Amino acid sequence: MALLTVKNLNIEYTTEDGVLQAVSDINFELKEGERIGLVGESGCGKTTLAKSLMRLLPENGEIVHGEIIFKGENLVDKTTEEIRKLRWKDISMVAQSSMNALNPVYRVGDQIVEAIQAHTEATKREAIERSEELFRMVGLERKRLQSYPHQMSGGMKQRAIIAMALALEPALIIADEPTTALDVIMQDRILNQIIQLQKEVNNSMVFITHDISVVSETCNTILVMYGGKVEEQASTRDFFKNPHHPYTLGLQNAFPSITDIGEELISIPGTPPNLLDPQPGCRFQDRCPFATDVCKKVTPDLSEVSEGHLVACHYTDKVDEFRIKAKENSTWQFVQDRLAMEGY
Amino acid sequence: MSMYVIRRIFSMLITLFIISTIIFLMFRLMPGDPTASMVDPSIPPEAREQIIERLGLNDSYFVQYTKFMQNLVQFDFGDSFYYKTSALSVLRDKLGATVILMIAAMVLAYGIGVFGGAWMAWRRGSVGESIAITIALIFRSAPTFWVGIMAIYIFSVLLGWLPHSGMRSSGYEAENLFQTFFSLDFLKHLILPTVVAAIYFLATPLLMMRNTMLEVLGEDFIEMARAKGLTERRVLFNHAARNALLPVVTAGALFIGSAIGGQVLIEYVFSWPGLGREMVLAAQRHDYPLAQASFIIMAALIMIMNLVADLLYAYLDPRISYK
Repeated sequence: MALLTVKNLNIEYTTEDGVLQAVSDINFELKEGERIGLVGESGCGKTTLAKSLMRLLPENGEIVHGEIIFKGENLVDKTTEEIRKLRWKDISMVAQSSMNALNPVYRVGDQIVEAIQAHTEATKREAIERSEELFRMVGLERKRLQSYPHQMSGGMKQRAIIAMALALEPALIIADEPTTALDVIMQDRILNQIIQLQKEVNNSMVFITHDISVVSETCNTILVMYGGKVEEQASTRDFFKNPHHPYTLGLQNAFPSITDIGEELISIPGTPPNLLDPQPGCRFQDRCPFATDVCKKVTPDLSEVSEGHLVACHYTDKVDEFRIKAKENSTWQFVQDRLAMEGY
Repeated sequence: MSMYVIRRIFSMLITLFIISTIIFLMFRLMPGDPTASMVDPSIPPEAREQIIERLGLNDSYFVQYTKFMQNLVQFDFGDSFYYKTSALSVLRDKLGATVILMIAAMVLAYGIGVFGGAWMAWRRGSVGESIAITIALIFRSAPTFWVGIMAIYIFSVLLGWLPHSGMRSSGYEAENLFQTFFSLDFLKHLILPTVVAAIYFLATPLLMMRNTMLEVLGEDFIEMARAKGLTERRVLFNHAARNALLPVVTAGALFIGSAIGGQVLIEYVFSWPGLGREMVLAAQRHDYPLAQASFIIMAALIMIMNLVADLLYAYLDPRISYK
């Protein structure tokens, strides 16, 4: 049985300008010990999705439809107090900006002890011993428990937060862009450490990032999100070897590969769709170089192209042609020109 | 840390020196003849001259100034013209009364302000919050003396619950120092001026706490605290309010100066035998030595409280360290 099953999840934000459909019809499953990556641009709903798994949505956010089944129980129906008890003990998170995720006025060690004591009967001494053990696991000196956050570097803070996330050995860890604020070398170290620790503890992970290179190293399955929807779901291998959706093809262009040094990167022109009043049809139509009239009218459903590989595109049969064209700069220039003509 | 305190005290002394000079000049340049209130105009001019000579009021300003400063470093503020005893001994009791009233009002205002502000931020947008803001602003805008007079009218004159003025009932004699300040009689006298002063002080910590609290509630570490599965109360007080408190403490330190102004009015309205009231009376009576002494003590008081606030701030915020 899967550890986590998300079914038809729909999340809306009530804003002054109307209702914003942040996440629409998301389905996925996560097995024990598995790592899933959520990839997409800023504002595509990946952080919203991740927060909803801990029921940490801001006040104006609401799960309007769908289920989040964790260990056989639907988290959407749980009371605030039930969720509070489940947080950190069963699901913990490595926050997006580790720089500010620690309270500046408390010692780092005390903040870990606080998390342990909120959910267990552990004495202060036991909690401190556990914190020391955790710091050893992430490669921080024991005396660092006595430090205040401002006395630590970004990498140290991130390690401290990873240690904190592991404190109660939760079944699921949500890592929301855990390395974005770090330099490339530190990113790599931290990522390796996360994976190594995850393998030791064998918990599941949801990995959120806009950096494809991060998921390529860390995840078993990748979900490409666009405008609050999943456009492509594939194993990491299929994602890189056999990508289908034009958005996925565009995303891959935007990241440098070690083999084509010196080539100019191609970015996807345009901006993500307005989710306050989404237009009918495919969410990616405006920026898709291969969009047709069908795409403007009919919303493509996720359909299976091979086992475990789902794509939401009307033209999965033309994928070979798409892949060749997507490598060319002129294909995307065409989108740029079209957007300019339409007055964007 | 101790180096910092020593440096601060040193700079406080310099500031006090400048303040003393300004105060010295201010009183000499003020219109009005100090002798008029001192000496009965009907007494013979020779006797008048004698008194003026004895008080040194005929000397040049420079001579007066040197003498004034010389005495000052020996904590000798001269004798009060009016009370005919040393200014310091007159003010010693008044200082205690002022400090007690001020601390009581500050504790009340900041206690309510900090918790109330945190509550308002938590209940942002509710009817209760709007009412609290309105009330705080009304009290803030209302003249202190008017609020004081209204309070006296309602609670002393109409209802007769509390005494309207003074620090203790007439005829009451305290047996010891403890009774002076902690007897039921004293506390009853303390209530009205404390509440009126606190009402005036309240708006600053309340609204400031609310605003910084709203800011802090949006911080990542608050979301993290929630994700950790802490209770909402713990998130609110141990994490959010604890951080929101920092700017409120700073503002509180700066506020002490202007609070003294309000204090003078309140002491006057309630006939509270404190430094503020004595200061006004001394100025009215052209009692130079007493007025000078009370101004200087008041200035020193403000500076000491500012220092205390700064040290408290370092204690509250580990990111601040004084060297």
